[in-house]
Amino acid sequence: MIKITQTLKNWLEPNNQALQEAIEKTVSEGLFSKQDIQHQLSVLRGNVENGEIQKWANRAGLTDQKNAKGKKVLCLHAGNLPLVGFQTALGVILSGADYYGKLSRKDPYLLGSFLREIEQIGIEQEIQYTTDLHDFQNLNADHIVFAGSEASVPQVEQEVKKLGAAKEKAEYLIRTAKFSIAYLEDWNEEVKNDLVESMLRYGGKGCRSVAVVVATFTLDEVKEELSSAIQKFWKDNPQQQKPAPELKYQFAYNEGIQRNQLWLEDFLIQETDELPETDFTVNCVKGDEAKVRELKAQFGTKVQSVYTTETEISGLETEELAKAQSPPLWWKPDGVDVVEDISSTIS
Amino acid sequence: MMSSDLIFDATVSFEYKCLRVFEFQRSNNPVYERFCDALEIHRPQSISEIPLLPIQAFKDAEVLTNFENSKYKIQNLEYFQSSGTSGMQRSRHYLRDPEIYRRSIIEGMQQFYDLDDFVIWAYTPGYNENPNSSLIWMLNTLIGREESGLSRFLELGKPLDENEIRKVTDAGKKLMVFGAAFGLLDLVEMKNVQLPADSMVMETGGMKTYRREMNREELHRRLAKGFGISLSKIHSEYGMTELLSQAYNPGGYWFGTVPWMEVSTRNPKDPMEEVRTGEEGLIGVIDLANLYSCSFILTGDKGVQVGGGKFQVLGRWNPRNLRGCNFLIDQD
Repeated sequence: MIKITQTLKNWLEPNNQALQEAIEKTVSEGLFSKQDIQHQLSVLRGNVENGEIQKWANRAGLTDQKNAKGKKVLCLHAGNLPLVGFQTALGVILSGADYYGKLSRKDPYLLGSFLREIEQIGIEQEIQYTTDLHDFQNLNADHIVFAGSEASVPQVEQEVKKLGAAKEKAEYLIRTAKFSIAYLEDWNEEVKNDLVESMLRYGGKGCRSVAVVVATFTLDEVKEELSSAIQKFWKDNPQQQKPAPELKYQFAYNEGIQRNQLWLEDFLIQETDELPETDFTVNCVKGDEAKVRELKAQFGTKVQSVYTTETEISGLETEELAKAQSPPLWWKPDGVDVVEDISSTIS
Repeated sequence: MMSSDLIFDATVSFEYKCLRVFEFQRSNNPVYERFCDALEIHRPQSISEIPLLPIQAFKDAEVLTNFENSKYKIQNLEYFQSSGTSGMQRSRHYLRDPEIYRRSIIEGMQQFYDLDDFVIWAYTPGYNENPNSSLIWMLNTLIGREESGLSRFLELGKPLDENEIRKVTDAGKKLMVFGAAFGLLDLVEMKNVQLPADSMVMETGGMKTYRREMNREELHRRLAKGFGISLSKIHSEYGMTELLSQAYNPGGYWFGTVPWMEVSTRNPKDPMEEVRTGEEGLIGVIDLANLYSCSFILTGDKGVQVGGGKFQVLGRWNPRNLRGCNFLIDQD
């Protein structure tokens, strides 16, 4: 644990040459913006400084008796935002399991540079990673971790099976959460900035990103202020990816049916309580706590987190809106702690 | 003013008619006008430049093409409404000129079948409770025009009667049994019957709303067996509340359209773009019979096309890559 913590600290050092090279390559290949990478790294630095590695191990109940030593865990990392697979990779390594990472071709350098440093410290566990799943042919992993949609799961399972990358009875931890909901009762400078960060960071592409806002006020009441705050955010954090033409189509549709909306060319905020299906879109609706509960139930496992500013919503687990894009190290994708899950399964 | 005769006029090119209808609707349908303005589409020169309005608009707004000072007021118009449970948002399609729908039904079916040869029987559980069903309207039209007096809606929950079938044969007619997919299945499950070999079963979809999961091939196989006719006699109709024309597949799985209707498959990421032949996409429909609503519709159905405009319906379109973390085997 100490070795891993120290390695992570070293890796995160701003003057770490290997990390700097990984950042430069990622940015120069247009994979992610420098601002989004720096944000992610800065969150991780904060996590480490707060002693969250040890705290995570404690929370997960890791001990000499309860761990995942000797087990093979294959992680299929997504690449929708920089270092999106980092938490899973670190969790697997902390658990003591052998880590086999299929890195995303959309984010191969950043996580790779961390894993290379972990490899070099000579821990007992196996650390292997690649961008080609075929490299894990006949791996016979005990556990598979990946994020998927209903449509993609069978295809992934079939491919894993075909390659013999996992045992016949391997355990699958599949994450299906796609977006988060924010509930706002107040509107002030802090809430506004937190909301903008939660919606726009990483182009809104993470499952912790807010794609649905329930507020006790209408979009019209805050439209101008919100628009200015978004422009300011983009000035400091230009949006890396541009939306597909479907977004303008959706804007035009809203105009057609006279749905209230805030059109920002590269992003759309629209007043509706429908499932947010399109990238670069946030749906907002006026409502109270009951509305939040209703939408959470309706969208089911697609919802990662429900954020509030100060309020608690009875019957729902909530998180602070301000932490949407800077979560603690042990945040639970789909409500499951990866360390706990693979350790309890295997021990 | 546009004459509805133009829609059915076979001597005029489809493209010309489309451009005329576009101009008419863009000028007189506020929903479509605002939609086109937002897309900055004003004077398309070809069909491919005409934008398709998402079908959801029939739920979210009043999609009506009407002159500003028209004597037709929306509150006085007959309308079709999709079925659904209470609280569910339902599509509403206003019928400004019922004669257009009547012609579209009759002349459309005549493109595929010699209607005068057939007695029409309709078995429509679930639709009977919807007084605004466009399917019931269509069936009433077909039954009403057939002169033998043998065409009718079948009593629900009762199997087909062999004596009644014999009367059809004795009258020198063929039998066409219309019904929603699983209604027909209920019918054969009540009792297997032997229809005359030249009979036809017309399945009108509705597979997604029923209690059993089954694909169309399996459904057709069971219907053929249950009705005692060959698989080639099980046909399908592709229609919906939002369209006043239908497409038919006269055996097999490929639908063909009537001359005043055209189908395309669109890229869901860019609905102005057609996908290549053989590729899956969103089904787009141009239905000129929708003269007084909107003729240019982007459905929520997934489809695939072959040459000649024929198409297959592959169910509802589900966004494959819903936002958020997703390991995609072909991209990651």
